[in-house]
Amino acid sequence: MSRAETVGIVGAGRFGTALGSVLARANRRVILWSRDPEIVDAIQTQRRCPRLPDAPLPEPLVATADPRVLASEARFLVMAVSSTNVRERSRELGNYLDGSHIVVHAIGALATPNNERVSEVVALGLPTLKIGALAGPALPADLVAGEYASMVIASAFDEVVAEGRRLLNAPPVLRLYSSKDLAGVELASALAGAYTVALGLCDGLGMGVGPRAVLITRAVAEMARLSVAAGAEARTAAGLAGLGNMLVRATERSVDYQLGRRLADGVITADGQRTEGARAAIAGAELAKKLRVRMPVLTGVAAVLAGRAEPREAAALIGDTVAVEE
Amino acid sequence: MASDRPVREAENRLEHFNADRERLLAEVERRVVARRVTEAKQGGSAALEDVLNDVAFSEIKRLEASRQKNGALDRWKDLSRRLMQMSEAEKEQELRDLVRYYGRDVVGNFDARVYKFATGIGPSLLNTLFSPTTAFRQGFGVLGNLDQRIHPDGEVALAHTCAERGTVIITPTHSSNMDSPAIGFALMRAGLPPTTYGAGKNLFTNPFISFFMRNLGAYRVDRRLRFELYKDVLKEYSTVLLEHGYHSLFFPGGTRCRSNIVEKHLKLGLLGTSVTAYKNLVREGAPNKRLYIVPATINYRLVLEAETLIDDYLAETGKSRYIITDDEFSRVGRIVEFFRKILAHEGSVVVRFGRPFDPFGNDITDDGESIDRAGRHVDPASFIRGANGEVSDDDQRDAEYTRALGRRLAAVYPKLTVFHSTHLVARAVYDEVCKRAGTRDIYRLMRLTLPPIQKADALAGIDRLRARLVETPAYGAEHPQFLDQATTDKLADGVRALSTFHTRIAVEDRGETLQVSDMKLLYYYQNRTAHIPPAGPAEAA
Repeated sequence: MSRAETVGIVGAGRFGTALGSVLARANRRVILWSRDPEIVDAIQTQRRCPRLPDAPLPEPLVATADPRVLASEARFLVMAVSSTNVRERSRELGNYLDGSHIVVHAIGALATPNNERVSEVVALGLPTLKIGALAGPALPADLVAGEYASMVIASAFDEVVAEGRRLLNAPPVLRLYSSKDLAGVELASALAGAYTVALGLCDGLGMGVGPRAVLITRAVAEMARLSVAAGAEARTAAGLAGLGNMLVRATERSVDYQLGRRLADGVITADGQRTEGARAAIAGAELAKKLRVRMPVLTGVAAVLAGRAEPREAAALIGDTVAVEE
Repeated sequence: MASDRPVREAENRLEHFNADRERLLAEVERRVVARRVTEAKQGGSAALEDVLNDVAFSEIKRLEASRQKNGALDRWKDLSRRLMQMSEAEKEQELRDLVRYYGRDVVGNFDARVYKFATGIGPSLLNTLFSPTTAFRQGFGVLGNLDQRIHPDGEVALAHTCAERGTVIITPTHSSNMDSPAIGFALMRAGLPPTTYGAGKNLFTNPFISFFMRNLGAYRVDRRLRFELYKDVLKEYSTVLLEHGYHSLFFPGGTRCRSNIVEKHLKLGLLGTSVTAYKNLVREGAPNKRLYIVPATINYRLVLEAETLIDDYLAETGKSRYIITDDEFSRVGRIVEFFRKILAHEGSVVVRFGRPFDPFGNDITDDGESIDRAGRHVDPASFIRGANGEVSDDDQRDAEYTRALGRRLAAVYPKLTVFHSTHLVARAVYDEVCKRAGTRDIYRLMRLTLPPIQKADALAGIDRLRARLVETPAYGAEHPQFLDQATTDKLADGVRALSTFHTRIAVEDRGETLQVSDMKLLYYYQNRTAHIPPAGPAEAA
C-alpha cells in the first residue's frame, strides 16, 4: 500500500494501540512508532502490545522504533503520547518530517508546563503547519472490543479533516465527524477529563442523580464559557469532544473517574495530579483565571487536587454560588 | 537592527518590465480563461453565462450609481441582453475580451528615465521646490540627500540577500497615501530594487503623484470592481509578476489604517498570490526560485491625512468609508505642505525592515533558507506537495497558509514600530488625561472638558515610556537618531509638531502646562503605542 494510504501512529500506549488495532482490522496499513524496542519486538513477533495485550494487531500493522521509517512511510500521523511527553516527542519527530506531513494529536489535556493547547506545542516542534486534533468518546477497551465509537477530527485545514476521515473511518467500529474548531475541540477534550474527576468525586460522595445532572450541565456551560473566551466556539463543548468524552469516561474504566472516587473516599488527597484529567483540571483553572472566566466547578476540583479544599467543599460549588442566565 | 554589512544596489528587474509586459498580459489571459472554461465545464454557478452576467450586473450597478453618461453603461446592458443568445464559443470569446480589457486596465508601466529622475535629481528638485529657504541656507547637496528625511533601517542586508536570491514582497504597514513614495525612496536608499505594487485607482487622479506612480511600476487596482472575474485577473497578474521575478509590494492591512494602531487584523489581499506563485514555480521545476515576504513598518513623525483618518475611524459604526477620495491627499496644497513641513524635519519618516519569511510564514536563515519554528532547515516546496511528492492544488490550504503568514506579520509589526516624539508625547499626555478622567474610553473623553496637564507629569510619563521601550523590545523602539535626546527636548519637539502642522491643534504649550485642544488628533498619535498596555494604576485609569 502506498504512503498516502498508510496511517502512522506515534506512541504504542493504550489509545495508539487500540486505534492501530481497529484500523489494521479494517485492512488499513498502519505503522506504529514506539521508542521502546521491546514493545516494537513484541508487536512484530507476537502481534500483541504489552500495554494493551487484548488488542489484536493483524498484519497490515507494523511497528518500528525508527522515526525515519515512520516519516517516510506515512504522511498522515496520529500522535498518541501523554501530554507530559508531547513537547519532546514533537521535537524529536520534527527532525524527520517536512511541510507535507499531516499530524493530528489524540491528547485530551493541556500541555505542561505552560498550559498551552497541545496543537500549539506540536506546532512548535514540527515543521508542518497541517495540524489537527482527534477527540471523542472512544475508549481503548471499546475499540478493541469492536464497540461502536465516534470521534471528531478538527483542524483549520480542510485537508487534515478530509484525510483524517478518509484514513481513520473504520465502520462499523469507528466513525469520524469533522470540525473546524480546533481550539474548541482541544479545550473540550482536555476539560472533559477534568470534569470526569469531578463526576467521580460526586459519585464517590454519593450525591445522587440530581446533583450529578446539574454537575454535567454546569460542566458543559463552563467549558463553553472558557472556549468562547479562548476564541473557540461554545457549541463544541456540547459535542463529542466535550460532553461525549465526559459521559464515556464517567465509569470505573476511566482513571480520571477512579481518581475522583478515591479523592471522595479520602484515600488520596493532594497528590492526585497523576492523570491527564487531574492535570487538565489544574491547567484549566489557571487558564480560567488568566482569561477571567468564572468556573466554580473546575476551580473546586483543582482546589481539591491541590489540597486546598475538602471534597465536600468542592461539591458544594456544583450548585454555584451565583445563579446566572443559562 | 541596522546591519553594518555593506549593501550594493540590487538588480532593478523592473527595467525589463516594459519588454515583458505583453508576454505577462498574455499569460494572465491564458490562465484566467483556461481556468474559467474548465470550471464552467463542471456546471453550476461556474457556468460562463453566470461569470459574464456577474460582470455585466456589477458594472451596470456601479455605473448607474455613479451616474456617468459616457456610453459605458450601454456596453454592459448590451452584453446582458445578448447573453441568453450567445453560444459557448461566443461566451468564451467575450470572456477572453473581458480578461484582456481588465488586464490592460490593471497593468503597470516602468519608465527607467522617470525612475532615474525620481531617484536622482527628483528629490533635490522636490526639496528645492518645497523648501526653497532651507535649500539656499543649507546648500543643494544636503537637500539632495533624503537619508536625513526618509531613513531606512532594520534587516536591510538580509532583504538585499533575498532580493538577489529570489523575489521579495515588501509588506509594510499602511498609514498614508504617501506610503508608496516613502517606501520607494526608502528602498532606493537602502540599495534595494524598486518594486511593482497595486495602488488604488483613485490615487491616479492626483496629477502630482500619478505621473510617478504610472511610470514607476504601480498597477491600478479599482476597488469599485467587486466581481470575481476582476479579482481573478488582479490576482493572476500579481502571481505572474512574482513568478517572473518582479519584486512586489503589498499592504497586507488593505486600506490605510484609520486609527493609527499598529495593524493586527490583516486583510492579506494579494499576499496569497505568493503561495500560488511559488507553487507554480515548483511545478515548473524551479523550487529554488524563492519568494520572500519582508515585513516593514513606515513610521511618520506626522501623518498627512491624520485628521481625516481619525475622524473616519471615530465616525459612527458602519459609516466609515472604505475609499476616501476627499482627504488631504486630494489637495495638492496639503501635499506641498507635507513636503515643506514634514519632510523638512530630519528623520521624519523611518522605514524599518524586519527579517523576511517564506510564503508559509517560516523564518529564514541569513542565506535565505527556510527554517521551521525549531530552527531546522525545511524545504518550502514540501508545504505544497502531496503524499507522493506531487504538487497539489488546494485553495483552502493555501488560504490557511496565507492566514498563518498574516499572523506572523501582525506579530512582528509591533516590534518593528519606531516611535517619534509625537507618539511618545501623545501617549504620555493621553495617559495623564485618562488618569484624571478615570477612563480610557475615547468617546467619553471626547465629551469632557479637559483640565491642563502639568508638563512635569508629561515628562515623567515620557520617561516611563522610554524606560519600558528599553526594557521590552517587543513593543518597538524609539527613533534611532534621537535615543540620546533629552526628555524635555522630546516633549518640546513633539508638542511643536502636534500643534503646528495639522489644521487642528492636538496639544498646546502653555508654559508650565499643556492643554489638549483636539482629543481625536491626540488619540490618533497615541494609538501608535496602543499595543503597549498601561503600566499600572498610574496609567490604567
